[in-house]
Amino acid sequence: MRRAELWMPWRLLAPAIVLEATLVLGPLLIGIWYSLHNVRFFQIRAYVGWANYQRILTSPDVLNSLWVTFVFSLGALVLTFVVGFALALWLERDGRGATAMRAVVLVPYMIAMLVGSMLLKWVFAQESGLSGMVLGPLGMGDVSILADPGTAMAALVFNAMWRDSAFAMIMLLAGLKSIPPGLHLAARVDGASAWMRFRRITLPLLRVPIVITLVRLLIHFVNILTFPLILTGGGPGNATETVVLKMFRLGFQDHVLGQANALALVVFAANLALVGVLLLLFRRTGRL
Amino acid sequence: MTASSVILRSAARERSALPPGVGRRLLVRWAVNGIIATFALFPILWGLSSSLKPADRIMEFPPRLLPQTPTLEHYARVFGDGASGYILNSILVSGATVLATLGFGALAGYALARFDFRGRGTLMALTVAVMSIPVASLLVPTFTLLSAAGLIDTRLGLVLLYTAYQLPVVIWMLYGYFRTLPVEIENAARIDGCTPLATLRKVVLPLSKPGLVAAALFVLVFAWNDFVVAVTMTSSEATRTFPVAIYFYLGFYGREWGPLLAASIVSIVPIVAVFIALQRHFMSGLTGGGVKG
Repeated sequence: MRRAELWMPWRLLAPAIVLEATLVLGPLLIGIWYSLHNVRFFQIRAYVGWANYQRILTSPDVLNSLWVTFVFSLGALVLTFVVGFALALWLERDGRGATAMRAVVLVPYMIAMLVGSMLLKWVFAQESGLSGMVLGPLGMGDVSILADPGTAMAALVFNAMWRDSAFAMIMLLAGLKSIPPGLHLAARVDGASAWMRFRRITLPLLRVPIVITLVRLLIHFVNILTFPLILTGGGPGNATETVVLKMFRLGFQDHVLGQANALALVVFAANLALVGVLLLLFRRTGRL
Repeated sequence: MTASSVILRSAARERSALPPGVGRRLLVRWAVNGIIATFALFPILWGLSSSLKPADRIMEFPPRLLPQTPTLEHYARVFGDGASGYILNSILVSGATVLATLGFGALAGYALARFDFRGRGTLMALTVAVMSIPVASLLVPTFTLLSAAGLIDTRLGLVLLYTAYQLPVVIWMLYGYFRTLPVEIENAARIDGCTPLATLRKVVLPLSKPGLVAAALFVLVFAWNDFVVAVTMTSSEATRTFPVAIYFYLGFYGREWGPLLAASIVSIVPIVAVFIALQRHFMSGLTGGGVKG
């Protein structure tokens, strides 16, 4: 190979590397730097070491947001995954009907998260009259779903399930399609029931796609911002204020950038751990 | 009798001789499909219906599913309040992002697909890692960086950020697509004296249209829909994209749901249209190019 050829791949990769280094790695380094300082309204005041981390990790508001994120992520993960898996199994077969249905299910996923949450806010809002009409006969006519901490969280989880089960479905469908159809056929000839085939063929062969789907959903839910910002505004009180929403408010409303960056890096560390799992799977199986 | 008519006849015979119980199974299937479709589409259709009701009927109780006297007044109001400018910003930013990601992504994807060099494995892993990191955790320091560079509140700043965020996924998708092309054609071009860049432009890219469309669609949906990045990185009306405008309508119109829902529907229409036209391509994008259709 000629010398010029040796450098060719790096020349082709240069724009991408420069862009990612400045706009992804750059902010990360700035974030680390800022998180160690007292910053007010974008002015660095003084080096404070770990004080910002200490401050946010003992702040009741932040601890609340971590708990909220945990509850939301767990609820959303379980429901989204189960619904997505059911959809994948139901719509696995080929044919026009199933293809059309897959497209229908994908619509909530395709539209902007902001718009989806806005539309759901209108469904749940008391003034739209839907909740009164449905809950009225049950004697809960004047319950306001988004004004009660418990039901507001349920609405938030519903939002996640409504939008993201399509994502889980597509990921799992990809896995289902990679199972050789001959296996199911052979098992059927041997008289295995549908449940048996699911337990002994589908589940074991779907192990890697299932883990990947769960991790990718979890990354998405841990970093959720738009759902609570639009649907519940983090309320009532701070009952649905997730950690990234808290970070967003610390940074862009309270302008305490040192603390906001410290919190951002805590979230980033969690992301890194989850992405690490994905990378490990990618290395071992070549799947994403 | 021709062969095809034999096949048609036997197919017809099969259909008329459906075993008992199949009809009921079909009924169950479509009932379940109906429930799924309602679950997925009801919030959107309810928003559409409400957006067409006159202002004094929107909060009527008990609510009517369909507007009695449909009106476009809320749509007129949204466009009267500058929606076209915001939509234009969204189009410009999305379009530029698509072009930039495809350009840089094709170069990088080609390098990873066709060259063997030290550090290739590491770069692949980094691509996957950056692809998986959500932007939200980097919002605050990114704002600081963009301010320092004088790119805050500019459309160029948005395009650069979107490109950085979507480039890894595009690289991954195009890398996957390039690997499926036969390398012999490229070798022939090289022997004929084409440089690697000319080979990419004249031979590889023309053969990669489906892959490019899938990647473009993926980026387009992201850029058109993004709200989180745009709302933090822009502040003036001149640079405001449409989703951000909808967010500001939320504060501006307050509890006036008519214009809010009308704006939401306006934002959905182009995405759904593009999606219906190019649905198959989008599926392959979601799984990182791993699966087609």
